[in-house]
Amino acid sequence: MNRIDQLFQTKKKNILSIYFPAGYPHLNDTNSTLELLQKKGVDLVEIGIPFSDPLADGPVIQTAAKRALDNGMSLKLLFQQLENARGNIAMPLILMGYWNTVYKYGVDHFLADCRKSGVDGVILPDLPVEEYEEDYKAKFELAGIYNILLVTPQTTRERLMQIEKSAKGFLYMVSSLATTGGILHYDSKREEYFKKVSQLDIPSLIGFGIHNKESFQHASRFANGAIIGTAFIKALQAGNSEKFLNGLR
Amino acid sequence: MKTKVCGLKFTSNIEALAKLPIDYMGFIFYPKSSRYVGEELDVFCLKNIPKGIKKIGVFVNEDLDIIMFKAKKYGLNGIQLHGEESLQICESIKRNGLEVIKAFQIDEEFDFEKLAAYRSSADYFLFDTKSKQYGGSGKKFNWGILKQYKGKTPFFLSGGIGADDVKDIKEFKHEQLYALDLNSAFEDVPAQKNKNKLARFLKEIKMTTKNKYAVDERGYYGQFGGAFIPELLRANVDELRENYLKIINSKQFQTDYHRLLNNYVGRPTPLTKVENLSKQYGTNIYLKREDLTHTGAHKINNTIGQILIAKYMGKKRIIAETGAGQHGVATATVCALFGLECVVYMGALDVQRQAPNVARMKMLGAKVIPAVSGNQTLKDATNEAIRDWIANPESFYLIGSVVGPHPYPDLVTRLQSIISKEIRKQLQEETGNLNPDYVIACVGGGSNAAGAFYHYLNEEKVQLIAVEASGLGVNSGETAATITIGDVGFIHGSKTMLMQDEDGQITEPYSISAGLDYPGVGPLHAHLAVSGRVSYISATDQEALDAAKLLAQSEGIIPALESAHALAALDKIKFKKEDVVVVNLSGRGDKDMETYMKAFA
Repeated sequence: MNRIDQLFQTKKKNILSIYFPAGYPHLNDTNSTLELLQKKGVDLVEIGIPFSDPLADGPVIQTAAKRALDNGMSLKLLFQQLENARGNIAMPLILMGYWNTVYKYGVDHFLADCRKSGVDGVILPDLPVEEYEEDYKAKFELAGIYNILLVTPQTTRERLMQIEKSAKGFLYMVSSLATTGGILHYDSKREEYFKKVSQLDIPSLIGFGIHNKESFQHASRFANGAIIGTAFIKALQAGNSEKFLNGLR
Repeated sequence: MKTKVCGLKFTSNIEALAKLPIDYMGFIFYPKSSRYVGEELDVFCLKNIPKGIKKIGVFVNEDLDIIMFKAKKYGLNGIQLHGEESLQICESIKRNGLEVIKAFQIDEEFDFEKLAAYRSSADYFLFDTKSKQYGGSGKKFNWGILKQYKGKTPFFLSGGIGADDVKDIKEFKHEQLYALDLNSAFEDVPAQKNKNKLARFLKEIKMTTKNKYAVDERGYYGQFGGAFIPELLRANVDELRENYLKIINSKQFQTDYHRLLNNYVGRPTPLTKVENLSKQYGTNIYLKREDLTHTGAHKINNTIGQILIAKYMGKKRIIAETGAGQHGVATATVCALFGLECVVYMGALDVQRQAPNVARMKMLGAKVIPAVSGNQTLKDATNEAIRDWIANPESFYLIGSVVGPHPYPDLVTRLQSIISKEIRKQLQEETGNLNPDYVIACVGGGSNAAGAFYHYLNEEKVQLIAVEASGLGVNSGETAATITIGDVGFIHGSKTMLMQDEDGQITEPYSISAGLDYPGVGPLHAHLAVSGRVSYISATDQEALDAAKLLAQSEGIIPALESAHALAALDKIKFKKEDVVVVNLSGRGDKDMETYMKAFA
């Protein structure tokens, strides 16, 4: 069974997912960060594939991606790093990146390497669901790699149904219309959106704007859990990532 | 050209593909093949295939009895023989009223002489890549070898043909090439073909001359285009997509747009015959004078159109990106005219380099926000503009070129097409002929070229020349010649050609001309390049500078550095005395005086 399904079958609430860019802050930090996350009881990890033009990301992740690239990080290297990691790491692993890097790597090659290195799913924000369905879904399903799809407050009901049909693992519920690293405000409209998505048969996690224990717990009331990215990168940068993780639970 | 899709076996897949305009379906009856039909091939499904699609059974060194039994059982129209079958077998099959396709594996040593013997017993040959097993390597062979084939039997071209081969197929000319044999490159898994992928390919191959270069309903030009955007932008882009054609085609828009073009922009712009330059090049050269528009470049044709669309859609805030500042100025201008809030993103480096345009935008009331991400140039300004749009979906993103997600490339192309519309009319008045022999334009993102080419795209006799900026030289590493050195990828929501490194990181372009300094190119141009309709050449910084100086001193016109690249092409083409050559002078050179002064000091 895919580790993502396993996770959502055994745990229904307060699932904590952490995002960090591969090769950040130093080139070979990927594996030690993974070990730290596992030690601290993180449920799910999203590893960022650095890209030169991260359209959906705010300044913190942009800067981190640029630093990782300057460190010499690449998708190829990430797969090499992960090959050594899986022995010690039991958490589901998701790669998050932009479509151009995957396309350039070669989709078949990418999926094969995901399998080889124990990757369970991917998040590719700029590969729209219709392009995915037409050209790639069969390949992903054959490889057993989950393509985690995003929904936003603007996603129409009709489109939500289409996305649910192709979705695997869980839905990435984007909290608000902004790039990553903003602040999440609650109002009745937002709560309604969260409720609409969490009523679907597929689990969901809330991301964008979740940055501490309070916002994590609050968001978790509306979904199976939440995703923290920017705030964790800031902690990595400041060298207090362990303390940050201790403070989340 | 005919097409055959080979290696089918699944009923639902066969039924789906039967709706496509293909000519042959192939079913493999060779048990060692991974696409072997086995025993479960659906007889009824095959009988229901429309008559226009011929059913071919593929066999390898099989007994004649078995071949004929299967042919009858499945109602096959023809047999493809992929082993070392004798002439006698071929003849027997043919006598039974079936078409015979005899396959051969080709490599450098292949002896085409031996084919002569099959001339009367095979209807067609099929040339496949040489491999250890019988067929199905999924690899291409060097089609150049087929030059040696001088026989009269038409052939199927086979072996790994895929979606990226359209250009090669169009360029591959052989009198006897009859059909394409398509198989593994269009599969999701063995024997399961991807219908949409096939449909797109067939469309590209079979495209009629009529709408060959128009965007399709999915936002594609051939294999390029689409809307590769995060879900966060979906509603914004959908809103525009659902409205733009309705608005553009409305009478109200057409009236407002043309009134503004005439009375505010200063259209039609003249078509000037430049006599001195014509004499020098021994031909007839005309300049389309976009440099004489209000704000000094073609960019305003687009911003006038988009601001009207924004207004009709009830938008109050306009977002734009700019490189050199020309599009930023043209946007700030129309925002001032319509009283809309204007936010322009400009790479922090460009803000420093293009101070006069920054001042113009500010004087026009726009807010200029320096983009400090990435390399701080046009690419990053575009990223920032898109991020702003994500956070402010009620705003209107007024893009400056034929780039970005569908429908922007089509929208901007339509708005710029006024350029070639006028050229046709003016040329007819001037020469009695709508069509010139050449149209030449520079390409960064490609909006002025798209406009100058648009009404000539289906006039195949008009040679269209696009000039990219090669900076210090195509192979110098300091270049912006995207089509010349780039490859397929995704930038700013569009599948197109772009400059990237081996890891798919988008690289920074270089050109002396800030308006051509973009690592991608509009998807229409990628398609025009791949289809061979437009020739993409390039000019260096120095060639552009020389061309600018020549025009200034022989005609009294100082061109923009961008347009100077188009002029530089005059040196690279051998014209005839009677040729009519139109160069699109996309902008004036005032903004480039500092660069010119430095270069000519």
